Amino acid sequence: MSAVLEARGLCASYGATRALDGLDAEIRRGELAALLGENGSGKSTFLKVLARIVAPKAGEVLLDGRPLAAVGRRESARRIAYLPQSLDLVFPIRCLDLVLQGRAPHARGFSADSAEDLERAFAAMRACDVEELADRDAAALSGGERRRVFLARALAQDAEIWLLDEPASGLDLRHRLEFLGLLDRTHAERGTTVLLVTHEIDLAAELADRVILLRRGRVLASGRPDETLTPDRLRATFGVESRIEVDAQGRRRVVPYAPAG
Amino acid sequence: MRAPRRTAALAGAFVLLLLAGLVGLLVGGVHLSLPDLVAGGGPASESARLVVSLRAPRVGLAALVGACLALAGAALQALLKNPLADPFLLGTSGGAAVGAALAAVAGFSPFVSPAAAFAGAVASSLTVAALARRGGRLDLQRLLLAGLIANAFFSAVLLGVFSVASGQTARTMLFWMMGSLADATPARVLALAPYAAAGFGVLAAFAARLNLFAVGEENAAALGVDVETSKRVVFVAASLLTGAAVAFAGIIGFVGLLVPHAARAVVGNDQRTLLPVSAIAGAALLAAADAASRSVFAPAELPVGAVTAAIGAPVFAWLLLRSS
Repeated sequence: MSAVLEARGLCASYGATRALDGLDAEIRRGELAALLGENGSGKSTFLKVLARIVAPKAGEVLLDGRPLAAVGRRESARRIAYLPQSLDLVFPIRCLDLVLQGRAPHARGFSADSAEDLERAFAAMRACDVEELADRDAAALSGGERRRVFLARALAQDAEIWLLDEPASGLDLRHRLEFLGLLDRTHAERGTTVLLVTHEIDLAAELADRVILLRRGRVLASGRPDETLTPDRLRATFGVESRIEVDAQGRRRVVPYAPAG
Repeated sequence: MRAPRRTAALAGAFVLLLLAGLVGLLVGGVHLSLPDLVAGGGPASESARLVVSLRAPRVGLAALVGACLALAGAALQALLKNPLADPFLLGTSGGAAVGAALAAVAGFSPFVSPAAAFAGAVASSLTVAALARRGGRLDLQRLLLAGLIANAFFSAVLLGVFSVASGQTARTMLFWMMGSLADATPARVLALAPYAAAGFGVLAAFAARLNLFAVGEENAAALGVDVETSKRVVFVAASLLTGAAVAFAGIIGFVGLLVPHAARAVVGNDQRTLLPVSAIAGAALLAAADAASRSVFAPAELPVGAVTAAIGAPVFAWLLLRSS
Protein backbone atom coordinates (compact mmCIF):
# COMPACT_ATOMS: atom_id res chain seq x y z
CA MET A 1 0.00 0.00 0.00
CA SER A 2 1.29 3.43 -0.89
CA ALA A 3 1.40 6.35 1.54
CA VAL A 4 -1.23 8.95 0.79
CA LEU A 5 0.01 11.15 3.63
CA GLU A 6 3.51 11.18 4.98
CA ALA A 7 4.90 13.24 7.83
CA ARG A 8 8.63 13.88 8.01
CA GLY A 9 10.21 15.37 11.11
CA LEU A 10 7.12 17.43 11.99
CA CYS A 11 7.53 19.96 14.78
CA ALA A 12 4.75 22.21 16.03
CA SER A 13 4.21 24.25 19.16
CA TYR A 14 1.66 26.47 20.85
CA GLY A 15 3.59 29.32 22.40
CA ALA A 16 6.18 27.63 24.61
CA THR A 17 4.46 24.24 24.56
CA ARG A 18 6.01 21.81 22.11
CA ALA A 19 3.22 19.62 20.74
CA LEU A 20 5.02 17.77 17.94
CA ASP A 21 8.71 16.99 18.21
CA GLY A 22 10.06 15.45 15.04
CA LEU A 23 7.13 13.21 14.20
CA ASP A 24 7.52 10.75 11.32
CA ALA A 25 4.48 8.80 10.16
CA GLU A 26 2.84 7.30 7.10
CA ILE A 27 -0.87 7.05 6.40
CA ARG A 28 -1.63 4.49 3.72
CA ARG A 29 -4.30 4.84 1.08
CA GLY A 30 -7.63 3.33 2.09
CA GLU A 31 -6.69 2.36 5.62
CA LEU A 32 -8.40 3.28 8.86
CA ALA A 33 -5.67 4.33 11.24
CA ALA A 34 -6.10 5.25 14.90
CA LEU A 35 -3.84 7.68 16.74
CA LEU A 36 -3.50 6.86 20.42
CA GLY A 37 -1.60 8.64 23.14
CA GLU A 38 -2.01 10.40 26.44
CA ASN A 39 -3.16 14.00 26.78
CA GLY A 40 -0.64 16.37 25.28
CA SER A 41 1.06 13.66 23.21
CA GLY A 42 0.33 15.63 20.05
CA LYS A 43 -2.56 13.61 18.57
CA SER A 44 -4.92 16.52 17.92
CA THR A 45 -2.08 18.76 16.81
CA PHE A 46 -0.96 16.18 14.24
CA LEU A 47 -4.51 16.11 12.87
CA LYS A 48 -4.61 19.91 12.74
CA VAL A 49 -1.30 20.08 10.89
CA LEU A 50 -2.66 17.61 8.30
CA ALA A 51 -5.87 19.69 8.04
CA ARG A 52 -3.71 22.83 7.60
CA ILE A 53 -5.21 24.47 10.66
CA VAL A 54 -1.82 24.57 12.39
CA ALA A 55 1.34 25.34 10.43
CA PRO A 56 4.31 23.14 11.35
CA LYS A 57 7.41 24.89 12.74
CA ALA A 58 9.67 22.39 11.01
CA GLY A 59 9.42 19.27 8.89
CA GLU A 60 6.89 18.63 6.17
CA VAL A 61 3.80 16.70 5.17
CA LEU A 62 3.64 14.98 1.80
CA LEU A 63 0.29 14.46 0.09
CA ASP A 64 0.77 11.76 -2.56
CA GLY A 65 4.47 12.51 -2.43
CA ARG A 66 3.97 16.24 -2.99
CA PRO A 67 4.83 18.71 -0.20
CA LEU A 68 1.51 19.84 1.29
CA ALA A 69 2.82 23.40 1.55
CA ALA A 70 3.14 23.44 -2.25
CA VAL A 71 -0.44 22.20 -2.76
CA GLY A 72 -3.10 24.92 -2.96
CA ARG A 73 -5.15 25.27 0.22
CA ARG A 74 -8.39 24.77 -1.65
CA GLU A 75 -7.04 21.76 -3.50
CA SER A 76 -6.00 20.04 -0.28
CA ALA A 77 -9.33 21.00 1.32
CA ARG A 78 -11.13 19.21 -1.52
CA ARG A 79 -9.19 16.07 -0.65
CA ILE A 80 -8.96 16.25 3.15
CA ALA A 81 -11.98 16.63 5.46
CA TYR A 82 -11.57 17.49 9.13
CA LEU A 83 -14.19 16.58 11.74
CA PRO A 84 -13.63 18.61 14.90
CA GLN A 85 -14.01 17.22 18.38
CA SER A 86 -16.43 19.91 19.48
CA LEU A 87 -18.45 22.65 17.90
CA ASP A 88 -18.79 25.90 19.79
CA LEU A 89 -21.37 27.86 17.81
CA VAL A 90 -22.10 31.51 18.53
CA PHE A 91 -24.30 32.31 15.56
CA PRO A 92 -27.27 30.32 14.29
CA ILE A 93 -26.60 28.03 11.33
CA ARG A 94 -28.84 25.41 9.78
CA CYS A 95 -27.45 21.89 9.49
CA LEU A 96 -27.93 22.08 5.74
CA ASP A 97 -25.72 25.18 5.58
CA LEU A 98 -23.11 23.47 7.74
CA VAL A 99 -23.07 20.52 5.33
CA LEU A 100 -23.01 22.91 2.34
CA GLN A 101 -19.83 24.43 3.76
CA GLY A 102 -18.21 21.15 2.78
CA ARG A 103 -18.75 22.28 -0.81
CA ALA A 104 -16.96 25.60 -0.21
CA PRO A 105 -13.50 24.46 -1.39
CA HIS A 106 -15.11 23.30 -4.64
CA ALA A 107 -16.99 26.56 -5.25
CA ARG A 108 -15.96 29.85 -6.79
CA GLY A 109 -15.23 32.36 -4.04
CA PHE A 110 -16.17 29.64 -1.47
CA SER A 111 -19.81 30.44 -2.29
CA ALA A 112 -21.42 27.01 -2.48
CA ASP A 113 -25.09 27.15 -3.38
CA SER A 114 -25.40 25.78 -6.90
CA ALA A 115 -28.01 23.14 -7.66
CA GLU A 116 -25.21 20.54 -7.74
CA ASP A 117 -23.95 21.63 -4.32
CA LEU A 118 -27.44 21.32 -2.85
CA GLU A 119 -27.96 17.94 -4.46
CA ARG A 120 -24.68 16.60 -3.10
CA ALA A 121 -25.38 18.03 0.35
CA PHE A 122 -28.79 16.33 0.50
CA ALA A 123 -27.40 13.05 -0.84
CA ALA A 124 -24.71 13.11 1.85
CA MET A 125 -27.28 13.90 4.55
CA ARG A 126 -29.42 10.98 3.36
CA ALA A 127 -26.42 8.67 3.49
CA CYS A 128 -25.81 9.68 7.11
CA ASP A 129 -29.50 9.65 8.01
CA VAL A 130 -29.63 13.32 8.99
CA GLU A 131 -31.81 14.61 6.17
CA GLU A 132 -34.61 15.50 8.57
CA LEU A 133 -32.21 17.76 10.48
CA ALA A 134 -31.58 19.98 7.44
CA ASP A 135 -33.49 23.00 8.74
CA ARG A 136 -32.56 22.57 12.40
CA ASP A 137 -30.10 24.94 14.07
CA ALA A 138 -26.80 23.08 14.43
CA ALA A 139 -26.35 24.47 17.95
CA ALA A 140 -29.30 22.36 19.10
CA LEU A 141 -27.83 19.03 17.96
CA SER A 142 -26.97 16.19 20.29
CA GLY A 143 -23.42 14.80 20.22
CA GLY A 144 -24.41 11.87 18.03
CA GLU A 145 -26.33 14.04 15.58
CA ARG A 146 -23.44 16.48 15.31
CA ARG A 147 -21.01 13.66 14.46
CA ARG A 148 -23.33 12.40 11.75
CA VAL A 149 -23.87 15.90 10.32
CA PHE A 150 -20.09 16.40 10.13
CA LEU A 151 -19.63 13.02 8.51
CA ALA A 152 -22.29 14.10 5.97
CA ARG A 153 -20.25 17.22 5.42
CA ALA A 154 -17.13 15.15 4.75
CA LEU A 155 -19.13 13.15 2.19
CA ALA A 156 -20.44 16.34 0.56
CA GLN A 157 -16.88 17.61 0.50
CA ASP A 158 -16.05 14.56 -1.63
CA ALA A 159 -12.85 14.23 0.37
CA GLU A 160 -10.85 11.02 0.11
CA ILE A 161 -9.13 11.53 3.46
CA TRP A 162 -11.08 11.97 6.68
CA LEU A 163 -9.46 13.28 9.85
CA LEU A 164 -11.62 12.70 12.94
CA ASP A 165 -10.82 14.13 16.35
CA GLU A 166 -12.29 11.92 19.11
CA PRO A 167 -15.30 10.77 17.07
CA ALA A 168 -16.85 8.80 19.94
CA SER A 169 -16.13 10.96 22.96
CA GLY A 170 -19.20 12.05 24.89
CA LEU A 171 -21.53 9.67 23.06
CA ASP A 172 -23.68 7.24 24.96
CA LEU A 173 -23.36 3.54 24.12
CA ARG A 174 -26.09 3.37 21.53
CA HIS A 175 -25.03 6.51 19.65
CA ARG A 176 -21.42 5.43 19.87
CA LEU A 177 -22.21 2.10 18.20
CA GLU A 178 -24.42 3.78 15.63
CA PHE A 179 -21.86 6.40 14.70
CA LEU A 180 -18.90 4.03 14.55
CA GLY A 181 -20.98 1.62 12.45
CA LEU A 182 -21.84 4.43 10.04
CA LEU A 183 -18.21 5.53 9.89
CA ASP A 184 -16.95 2.02 9.21
CA ARG A 185 -19.60 1.42 6.54
CA THR A 186 -19.14 4.69 4.64
CA HIS A 187 -15.36 4.36 4.82
CA ALA A 188 -15.56 0.85 3.35
CA GLU A 189 -18.06 1.85 0.64
CA ARG A 190 -16.08 4.82 -0.52
CA GLY A 191 -12.60 3.50 0.03
CA THR A 192 -11.61 6.60 1.93
CA THR A 193 -8.54 6.90 4.10
CA VAL A 194 -9.44 7.57 7.74
CA LEU A 195 -7.19 8.85 10.48
CA LEU A 196 -8.88 9.18 13.84
CA VAL A 197 -7.71 10.35 17.21
CA THR A 198 -9.07 8.55 20.23
CA HIS A 199 -8.54 7.90 23.89
CA GLU A 200 -10.28 4.58 23.70
CA ILE A 201 -8.04 1.60 23.21
CA ASP A 202 -11.05 -0.66 22.57
CA LEU A 203 -12.29 1.56 19.80
CA ALA A 204 -8.91 1.50 18.10
CA ALA A 205 -8.63 -2.25 18.53
CA GLU A 206 -12.08 -2.91 17.05
CA LEU A 207 -12.08 -0.45 14.19
CA ALA A 208 -8.56 0.29 13.05
CA ASP A 209 -6.47 -1.47 10.44
CA ARG A 210 -3.45 0.12 12.05
CA VAL A 211 -2.68 1.80 15.33
CA ILE A 212 -0.17 4.63 15.74
CA LEU A 213 1.04 5.28 19.28
CA LEU A 214 2.23 8.79 20.07
CA ARG A 215 4.37 9.84 22.99
CA ARG A 216 5.59 13.40 23.53
CA GLY A 217 5.10 14.48 19.94
CA ARG A 218 6.74 11.44 18.32
CA VAL A 219 5.61 8.07 17.06
CA LEU A 220 6.44 5.38 19.58
CA ALA A 221 5.15 2.46 17.53
CA SER A 222 2.72 1.64 14.76
CA GLY A 223 1.27 -1.52 13.32
CA ARG A 224 -1.68 -3.90 13.45
CA PRO A 225 -3.72 -3.45 16.64
CA ASP A 226 -3.02 -6.95 17.96
CA GLU A 227 0.72 -6.48 17.45
CA THR A 228 0.87 -2.91 18.71
CA LEU A 229 -1.49 -2.83 21.66
CA THR A 230 0.70 -4.88 23.99
CA PRO A 231 1.21 -4.39 27.73
CA ASP A 232 4.79 -3.20 27.15
CA ARG A 233 3.80 -0.61 24.58
CA LEU A 234 0.84 0.59 26.62
CA ARG A 235 3.10 1.04 29.62
CA ALA A 236 5.43 3.19 27.49
CA THR A 237 2.59 5.14 25.88
CA PHE A 238 0.14 5.70 28.71
CA GLY A 239 2.10 4.79 31.82
CA VAL A 240 -0.35 2.03 32.79
CA GLU A 241 -0.15 -1.66 33.59
CA SER A 242 -2.55 -3.72 31.50
CA ARG A 243 -3.39 -7.29 30.58
CA ILE A 244 -4.88 -8.78 27.45
CA GLU A 245 -8.11 -10.74 27.78
CA VAL A 246 -10.00 -12.64 25.11
CA ASP A 247 -13.79 -12.32 25.32
CA ALA A 248 -16.47 -14.91 24.46
CA GLN A 249 -16.53 -13.75 20.81
CA GLY A 250 -12.81 -14.32 20.57
CA ARG A 251 -12.02 -10.59 20.51
CA ARG A 252 -8.87 -9.35 22.12
CA ARG A 253 -9.48 -6.81 24.86
CA VAL A 254 -6.93 -4.64 26.54
CA VAL A 255 -7.69 -4.13 30.22
CA PRO A 256 -5.65 -1.44 31.96
CA TYR A 257 -5.71 -2.07 35.72
CA ALA A 258 -3.13 0.16 37.44
CA PRO A 259 -0.84 3.14 36.87
CA ALA A 260 2.67 1.95 36.12
CA GLY A 261 5.11 2.36 39.03
CA MET B 1 -30.89 31.36 2.04
CA ARG B 2 -33.10 30.94 -0.95
CA ALA B 3 -32.99 33.74 -3.52
CA PRO B 4 -36.60 35.06 -3.14
CA ARG B 5 -36.18 35.57 0.62
CA ARG B 6 -32.90 37.36 0.02
CA THR B 7 -34.56 39.69 -2.47
CA ALA B 8 -37.46 40.31 -0.09
CA ALA B 9 -35.08 41.15 2.75
CA LEU B 10 -33.10 43.55 0.57
CA ALA B 11 -36.30 45.18 -0.66
CA GLY B 12 -37.63 45.50 2.88
CA ALA B 13 -34.42 47.16 4.10
CA PHE B 14 -34.55 49.48 1.13
CA VAL B 15 -38.12 50.53 1.94
CA LEU B 16 -36.99 51.31 5.49
CA LEU B 17 -34.19 53.43 4.09
CA LEU B 18 -36.59 55.35 1.82
CA LEU B 19 -38.93 56.00 4.75
CA ALA B 20 -36.08 57.12 7.01
CA GLY B 21 -34.75 59.36 4.25
CA LEU B 22 -38.17 60.89 3.70
CA VAL B 23 -38.63 61.56 7.41
CA GLY B 24 -35.11 63.03 7.47
CA LEU B 25 -36.10 65.52 4.78
CA LEU B 26 -39.36 66.49 6.50
CA VAL B 27 -38.52 66.88 10.20
CA GLY B 28 -36.20 69.24 12.05
CA GLY B 29 -36.30 72.85 13.23
CA VAL B 30 -38.90 73.51 10.54
CA HIS B 31 -41.34 70.66 9.90
CA LEU B 32 -42.44 70.15 6.34
CA SER B 33 -45.39 68.14 5.12
CA LEU B 34 -45.38 65.69 2.25
CA PRO B 35 -47.31 68.14 -0.02
CA ASP B 36 -44.61 70.77 0.71
CA LEU B 37 -42.03 68.34 -0.56
CA VAL B 38 -43.79 67.42 -3.81
CA ALA B 39 -45.49 70.75 -4.64
CA GLY B 40 -43.68 72.98 -7.12
CA GLY B 41 -43.80 76.84 -7.40
CA GLY B 42 -45.24 79.36 -4.92
CA PRO B 43 -43.46 81.13 -2.07
CA ALA B 44 -44.14 78.37 0.49
CA SER B 45 -42.47 75.73 -1.67
CA GLU B 46 -39.56 78.12 -2.31
CA SER B 47 -38.62 77.95 1.38
CA ALA B 48 -39.41 74.22 1.41
CA ARG B 49 -36.98 73.71 -1.44
CA LEU B 50 -34.33 75.61 0.51
CA VAL B 51 -34.87 73.45 3.60
CA VAL B 52 -34.72 70.28 1.50
CA SER B 53 -31.54 71.39 -0.26
CA LEU B 54 -29.95 71.86 3.17
CA ARG B 55 -31.25 68.58 4.57
CA ALA B 56 -30.68 66.31 1.57
CA PRO B 57 -26.88 66.16 1.95
CA ARG B 58 -27.31 65.54 5.66
CA VAL B 59 -29.64 62.61 5.01
CA GLY B 60 -27.20 61.31 2.39
CA LEU B 61 -24.23 61.59 4.78
CA ALA B 62 -26.17 59.90 7.60
CA ALA B 63 -27.09 57.04 5.27
CA LEU B 64 -23.53 56.50 4.03
CA VAL B 65 -21.98 56.74 7.53
CA GLY B 66 -24.62 54.33 8.89
CA ALA B 67 -23.94 51.89 6.06
CA CYS B 68 -20.16 52.01 6.68
CA LEU B 69 -20.47 51.42 10.42
CA ALA B 70 -23.03 48.61 10.09
CA LEU B 71 -20.91 46.86 7.45
CA ALA B 72 -17.77 47.10 9.57
CA GLY B 73 -19.67 45.72 12.57
CA ALA B 74 -21.22 42.82 10.65
CA ALA B 75 -17.89 41.80 9.12
CA LEU B 76 -16.01 41.98 12.44
CA GLN B 77 -18.70 39.95 14.19
CA ALA B 78 -18.41 37.13 11.67
CA LEU B 79 -14.61 37.28 11.44
CA LEU B 80 -14.11 37.19 15.21
CA LYS B 81 -17.10 34.90 15.80
CA ASN B 82 -18.24 37.41 18.38
CA PRO B 83 -21.66 39.07 18.45
CA LEU B 84 -20.27 41.86 20.63
CA ALA B 85 -17.71 43.05 18.06
CA ASP B 86 -18.29 46.62 16.95
CA PRO B 87 -15.89 49.27 15.62
CA PHE B 88 -16.83 51.59 18.49
CA LEU B 89 -16.49 49.04 21.30
CA LEU B 90 -13.22 47.67 19.89
CA GLY B 91 -11.67 51.14 19.85
CA THR B 92 -11.41 51.39 16.05
CA SER B 93 -13.64 54.48 15.94
CA GLY B 94 -11.64 56.12 18.74
CA GLY B 95 -8.36 55.49 16.92
CA ALA B 96 -9.85 56.92 13.74
CA ALA B 97 -11.07 60.02 15.60
CA VAL B 98 -7.64 60.62 17.13
CA GLY B 99 -6.01 60.24 13.70
CA ALA B 100 -8.44 62.62 12.04
CA ALA B 101 -8.41 65.10 14.92
CA LEU B 102 -4.62 65.27 15.07
CA ALA B 103 -4.47 65.80 11.30
CA ALA B 104 -7.04 68.61 11.60
CA VAL B 105 -5.18 70.25 14.50
CA ALA B 106 -1.94 69.99 12.54
CA GLY B 107 -3.65 72.06 9.85
CA PHE B 108 -4.10 69.46 7.08
CA SER B 109 -6.99 69.93 4.64
CA PRO B 110 -10.26 68.17 5.57
CA PHE B 111 -9.80 65.84 2.61
CA VAL B 112 -6.70 64.38 4.26
CA SER B 113 -8.77 63.39 7.28
CA PRO B 114 -10.08 60.06 5.84
CA ALA B 115 -6.48 58.92 5.32
CA ALA B 116 -5.50 60.04 8.82
CA ALA B 117 -8.61 58.41 10.29
CA PHE B 118 -7.84 55.19 8.39
CA ALA B 119 -4.28 55.21 9.75
CA GLY B 120 -5.66 55.76 13.26
CA ALA B 121 -8.19 52.96 12.81
CA VAL B 122 -5.56 50.49 11.57
CA ALA B 123 -3.14 51.44 14.36
CA SER B 124 -5.91 50.97 16.91
CA SER B 125 -6.98 47.60 15.44
CA LEU B 126 -3.41 46.30 15.53
CA THR B 127 -2.86 47.49 19.10
CA VAL B 128 -6.15 46.06 20.36
CA ALA B 129 -5.49 42.76 18.57
CA ALA B 130 -1.99 42.59 20.08
CA LEU B 131 -3.38 43.25 23.56
CA ALA B 132 -6.05 40.60 23.11
CA ARG B 133 -3.69 37.93 21.81
CA ARG B 134 -2.96 35.11 24.17
CA GLY B 135 -1.13 31.92 23.24
CA GLY B 136 -1.22 32.81 19.54
CA ARG B 137 -4.96 33.40 19.31
CA LEU B 138 -7.39 36.26 19.83
CA ASP B 139 -9.12 35.89 23.17
CA LEU B 140 -12.63 37.31 23.01
CA GLN B 141 -12.92 38.49 26.60
CA ARG B 142 -9.57 40.19 26.28
CA LEU B 143 -10.61 41.75 22.99
CA LEU B 144 -13.45 43.67 24.63
CA LEU B 145 -11.22 44.71 27.54
CA ALA B 146 -8.53 45.83 25.12
CA GLY B 147 -11.16 47.90 23.30
CA LEU B 148 -12.10 49.48 26.61
CA ILE B 149 -8.47 50.35 27.34
CA ALA B 150 -8.01 51.79 23.85
CA ASN B 151 -11.17 53.88 24.16
CA ALA B 152 -10.07 55.27 27.54
CA PHE B 153 -6.72 56.23 26.04
CA PHE B 154 -8.23 57.79 22.93
CA SER B 155 -10.73 59.89 24.85
CA ALA B 156 -7.87 61.08 27.07
CA VAL B 157 -6.00 62.22 23.96
CA LEU B 158 -9.08 63.90 22.50
CA LEU B 159 -9.95 65.59 25.82
CA GLY B 160 -6.33 66.67 26.26
CA VAL B 161 -6.18 68.33 22.86
CA PHE B 162 -9.65 69.78 23.44
CA SER B 163 -8.66 71.40 26.72
CA VAL B 164 -5.59 73.16 25.31
CA ALA B 165 -7.21 74.05 21.99
CA SER B 166 -9.21 77.19 21.42
CA GLY B 167 -11.94 78.51 19.12
CA GLN B 168 -12.31 76.60 15.88
CA THR B 169 -9.99 73.77 16.97
CA ALA B 170 -11.99 73.15 20.13
CA ARG B 171 -15.19 72.99 18.09
CA THR B 172 -13.51 70.51 15.73
CA MET B 173 -12.44 68.33 18.66
CA LEU B 174 -15.95 68.37 20.06
CA PHE B 175 -17.17 67.23 16.66
CA TRP B 176 -14.86 64.16 16.64
CA MET B 177 -15.76 63.27 20.20
CA MET B 178 -19.54 63.57 20.01
CA GLY B 179 -20.16 62.75 16.40
CA SER B 180 -22.22 65.03 14.18
CA LEU B 181 -23.78 65.09 10.76
CA ALA B 182 -24.33 68.85 10.82
CA ASP B 183 -21.42 69.64 8.50
CA ALA B 184 -22.91 67.69 5.61
CA THR B 185 -22.39 69.08 2.13
CA PRO B 186 -22.87 67.41 -1.25
CA ALA B 187 -19.07 67.43 -1.68
CA ARG B 188 -18.55 65.56 1.60
CA VAL B 189 -21.18 62.98 0.67
CA LEU B 190 -19.45 62.44 -2.67
CA ALA B 191 -16.07 62.20 -0.95
CA LEU B 192 -17.29 59.47 1.42
CA ALA B 193 -19.04 57.39 -1.26
CA PRO B 194 -15.91 55.79 -2.79
CA TYR B 195 -14.69 54.59 0.62
CA ALA B 196 -18.07 53.05 1.37
CA ALA B 197 -18.17 51.41 -2.07
CA ALA B 198 -14.61 50.06 -1.81
CA GLY B 199 -15.19 48.66 1.69
CA PHE B 200 -18.44 47.03 0.64
CA GLY B 201 -16.85 45.58 -2.51
CA VAL B 202 -14.04 43.92 -0.59
CA LEU B 203 -16.31 42.54 2.12
CA ALA B 204 -18.84 41.26 -0.42
CA ALA B 205 -16.03 39.33 -2.12
CA PHE B 206 -15.15 37.79 1.26
CA ALA B 207 -18.74 37.14 2.38
CA ALA B 208 -18.63 33.37 1.77
CA ARG B 209 -15.28 33.11 3.60
CA LEU B 210 -16.82 35.06 6.48
CA ASN B 211 -19.53 32.40 6.69
CA LEU B 212 -16.78 29.85 7.34
CA PHE B 213 -15.17 32.15 9.94
CA ALA B 214 -18.54 32.57 11.68
CA VAL B 215 -18.39 28.85 12.55
CA GLY B 216 -14.75 29.17 13.59
CA GLU B 217 -11.33 30.13 12.36
CA GLU B 218 -10.25 26.46 12.37
CA ASN B 219 -13.33 25.64 10.32
CA ALA B 220 -12.31 28.21 7.70
CA ALA B 221 -8.73 26.92 7.62
CA ALA B 222 -9.82 23.29 7.24
CA LEU B 223 -12.05 24.27 4.29
CA GLY B 224 -9.19 25.82 2.35
CA VAL B 225 -9.30 29.49 3.39
CA ASP B 226 -5.97 31.26 3.83
CA VAL B 227 -7.07 32.57 7.22
CA GLU B 228 -4.19 34.95 7.90
CA THR B 229 -4.62 36.76 4.59
CA SER B 230 -8.40 36.84 4.95
CA LYS B 231 -8.17 38.28 8.47
CA ARG B 232 -5.87 41.02 7.25
CA VAL B 233 -8.09 41.91 4.30
CA VAL B 234 -11.26 42.04 6.41
CA PHE B 235 -9.56 44.05 9.18
CA VAL B 236 -8.27 46.56 6.64
CA ALA B 237 -11.68 46.85 4.95
CA ALA B 238 -13.45 47.30 8.30
CA SER B 239 -10.85 49.89 9.36
CA LEU B 240 -11.28 51.71 6.05
CA LEU B 241 -15.06 51.85 6.48
CA THR B 242 -14.78 52.95 10.11
CA GLY B 243 -12.06 55.47 9.36
CA ALA B 244 -14.06 57.03 6.53
CA ALA B 245 -17.25 57.18 8.61
CA VAL B 246 -15.43 58.80 11.54
CA ALA B 247 -13.56 61.23 9.30
CA PHE B 248 -16.85 62.64 8.02
CA ALA B 249 -19.07 62.31 11.09
CA GLY B 250 -16.95 61.80 14.22
CA ILE B 251 -17.51 58.96 16.68
CA ILE B 252 -21.00 57.48 16.46
CA GLY B 253 -21.31 54.35 18.56
CA PHE B 254 -23.44 51.21 18.53
CA VAL B 255 -24.59 51.32 14.87
CA GLY B 256 -22.18 48.50 14.06
CA LEU B 257 -23.49 46.49 17.00
CA LEU B 258 -27.21 47.09 16.64
CA VAL B 259 -27.80 46.76 12.94
CA PRO B 260 -26.18 43.37 12.23
CA HIS B 261 -28.09 41.93 15.20
CA ALA B 262 -31.44 43.15 14.02
CA ALA B 263 -30.66 42.08 10.46
CA ARG B 264 -29.45 38.63 11.60
CA ALA B 265 -32.70 38.08 13.49
CA VAL B 266 -34.60 38.62 10.24
CA VAL B 267 -32.40 37.14 7.48
CA GLY B 268 -30.15 34.68 9.34
CA ASN B 269 -26.36 34.69 9.40
CA ASP B 270 -25.46 34.11 5.74
CA GLN B 271 -23.03 36.99 5.21
CA ARG B 272 -23.83 37.12 1.51
CA THR B 273 -27.28 38.39 2.52
CA LEU B 274 -26.44 39.84 5.92
CA LEU B 275 -23.77 42.26 4.66
CA PRO B 276 -25.91 44.07 2.06
CA VAL B 277 -28.99 44.03 4.32
CA SER B 278 -26.91 45.43 7.20
CA ALA B 279 -25.52 48.17 4.95
CA ILE B 280 -28.97 49.33 3.86
CA ALA B 281 -30.50 48.93 7.34
CA GLY B 282 -27.53 50.81 8.88
CA ALA B 283 -28.15 53.65 6.43
CA ALA B 284 -31.82 53.68 7.44
CA LEU B 285 -31.05 53.57 11.18
CA LEU B 286 -28.62 56.48 11.14
CA ALA B 287 -30.85 58.58 8.87
CA ALA B 288 -33.72 57.96 11.32
CA ALA B 289 -31.51 58.61 14.37
CA ASP B 290 -30.34 61.87 12.84
CA ALA B 291 -33.94 62.91 12.13
CA ALA B 292 -34.74 62.15 15.78
CA SER B 293 -31.71 64.11 17.00
CA ARG B 294 -32.93 67.15 15.08
CA SER B 295 -36.58 66.99 16.11
CA VAL B 296 -36.89 65.57 19.64
CA PHE B 297 -35.75 68.79 21.35
CA ALA B 298 -36.14 71.10 18.33
CA PRO B 299 -34.89 73.72 17.81
CA ALA B 300 -32.05 72.34 19.94
CA GLU B 301 -30.14 69.42 18.40
CA LEU B 302 -29.03 66.30 20.24
CA PRO B 303 -25.71 64.75 19.20
CA VAL B 304 -26.69 61.83 16.94
CA GLY B 305 -24.30 59.60 18.89
CA ALA B 306 -26.45 60.20 21.98
CA VAL B 307 -29.46 58.86 20.10
CA THR B 308 -27.65 55.73 18.87
CA ALA B 309 -26.18 55.16 22.35
CA ALA B 310 -29.59 55.55 23.97
CA ILE B 311 -30.84 52.68 21.78
CA GLY B 312 -27.56 50.78 21.63
CA ALA B 313 -26.50 50.64 25.28
CA PRO B 314 -29.59 48.76 26.51
CA VAL B 315 -29.33 46.33 23.57
CA PHE B 316 -25.64 45.79 24.37
CA ALA B 317 -26.55 45.09 28.00
CA TRP B 318 -29.20 42.60 26.88
CA LEU B 319 -26.70 40.83 24.58
CA LEU B 320 -24.16 40.66 27.38
CA LEU B 321 -26.69 39.11 29.75
CA ARG B 322 -27.77 36.62 27.14
CA SER B 323 -24.23 35.59 26.14
CA SER B 324 -23.15 34.53 29.64
